[in-house]
Amino acid sequence: MRRMLRLHRIFVAQYMKNLMEYKVDFLTGAISFLLGQAVQILFLGIIFSQIPDLVGWDFNEILFIYGFSLIPKGLDHLFFDNLWSVGYFIVRKGDFDKYLTRPINSLFYVIAEKFCVDAFGELAIGLILITYSVIQLKLTITWYMIPLFIISVVFATLIYTAIKIATSAISFWTKASGHITHMFYMTNDFSKYPTTIYNKFVKNIITYVIPFAFTAYYPASFFLTGENPLFCIGGTVLASTILFAVSVLIWNRGIKAYESAGS
Amino acid sequence: MIYVNDLRKEFKKAIKEPGLKGSVKALFSPKNEIVKAVDGISFHVPKGEMLGFIGPNGAGKSTVIKMLTGILTPTSGTCEINGFIPQKDRQRYVKEIGVVFGQRTQLWWDLALRETYAVLKEIYDVPDKEYKKRMEFLNEVLELDEFISSPVRTLSLGQRMRADIAASLLHNPKVLFLDEPTIGLDVVVKDNIRNAIQKINAEEGTTVILTTHDLADIELLCDRIVMIDKGKKVFDGQLNDLRHEFGQMRDLQFELISKSDISKLNYKADLKLSDEDVKIENEKSSVSVRFDSEKVSVEDILSYTLSKVHVKDINLKDADIEEIIRRLYRQEVSIDEV
Repeated sequence: MRRMLRLHRIFVAQYMKNLMEYKVDFLTGAISFLLGQAVQILFLGIIFSQIPDLVGWDFNEILFIYGFSLIPKGLDHLFFDNLWSVGYFIVRKGDFDKYLTRPINSLFYVIAEKFCVDAFGELAIGLILITYSVIQLKLTITWYMIPLFIISVVFATLIYTAIKIATSAISFWTKASGHITHMFYMTNDFSKYPTTIYNKFVKNIITYVIPFAFTAYYPASFFLTGENPLFCIGGTVLASTILFAVSVLIWNRGIKAYESAGS
Repeated sequence: MIYVNDLRKEFKKAIKEPGLKGSVKALFSPKNEIVKAVDGISFHVPKGEMLGFIGPNGAGKSTVIKMLTGILTPTSGTCEINGFIPQKDRQRYVKEIGVVFGQRTQLWWDLALRETYAVLKEIYDVPDKEYKKRMEFLNEVLELDEFISSPVRTLSLGQRMRADIAASLLHNPKVLFLDEPTIGLDVVVKDNIRNAIQKINAEEGTTVILTTHDLADIELLCDRIVMIDKGKKVFDGQLNDLRHEFGQMRDLQFELISKSDISKLNYKADLKLSDEDVKIENEKSSVSVRFDSEKVSVEDILSYTLSKVHVKDINLKDADIEEIIRRLYRQEVSIDEV
């Protein structure tokens, strides 16, 4: 574990040096990302200027849920972004060979190779929204909220990651699965709002099948109301653990089916 | 050290009719065929040996190497290297091997070469002292100094290949796999790389398995060769045995002083040779005679030619591997396992 952390630090350092090699590209990326986030928040503002109340949640509570959803998403984006490349091209081009000829866990190696600094935008905006809404709502923060918050954020992040691991591992059989990952990943947009606004079908899907509801709405609603801790926090931990275990299993199976590419 | 037993690898390949229509059709009623890329190969390599792995394109060489390096999982059969089964104990196994794929670099594309080695040092847990000693040695045999500070993407192919080989040797592996290490390189770099491989083999006792299309690689480096074709082993033994067994094709080229002399040469009739044994190609004032040196000696061809015409230049070449294989299949020689 300590070795992994050290290696991770080294990979991150190398990746940052890499970024600096392409300064223009990096700057363009950062600017376009900030613009994208600004548009999203503006959009949210427009919606809530029309609808001040959403199934019993007021604007500030919705802001809290929205802000909360950005934290695990941002963390996943920051640390585990390279999984996208697995499904889109690493496997198809046979570049996965490289990860199998090194004496470190292939999943860890793929993940550690990229450190997506774009994600700091999401994280910053998430934190700002949370802080702002907490102040507006005058929420009282009890001491046990802090560890529970950290736990739910960590496990919520793993839900994102596990979905990406499982869907990108499909490429070991099909050669490319980037679009499958994309399809699953995009359902996370549902998690930014209370699940109660959706019909039963969508609600069940994002609770039990692709449990994105546990990445934002459920844990966030606990912090807002203090109700249902077992389902809201326990459910996040449970859903995340099961999903992660399954995804690693699929990954390891996938490696056995990997066919490389001709050379 | 390396035991390969009845190794097989099958790929499922989708059969598609050409064009968009075919693609759509394949989407709704997919048809697959099984391709046997490696079809029951066995061999054994003792420690410290340099084994040349040869065969035409698509013979299954790379697939075998990829199974030996733990990248691919065999359909059936086993391989055991240093007591490890590559697929089972992958992480511990790859720590003891070095891998170079000539077509594909393993270096960090945008980093200075020096940084790449620093990262590899960490990945392989090489102690500082050993790393320093190792770098000095690799520097000396592969002459990395001139480009060690440049980003990998700016290196020439020859530099990159040297860098790749150095990268694969940093952790002092017991077995080195080289898949076409001299592909596309000029003579000087080829020599440099061959020397390095030889030196490493001699000093560290590293077992080397290399695939190549270059006969010189085999001649200069390999104690033994395994030849495969269509996924099956067709020869296993010394290079000389191969020559001996399949006839020794030689190529003699004469540059004539006068172009009109060409008509004076009539090898087949005068030396009583069959079409199989000798082939003549004329181009301008040069004559190229390809012959089986078991049937007719170099001396006979030379003295016959010199007695008939005036010669400006003579060049004697070995037949390449492709030619030996071609000949092998034309004659449909059956080979007993050596």
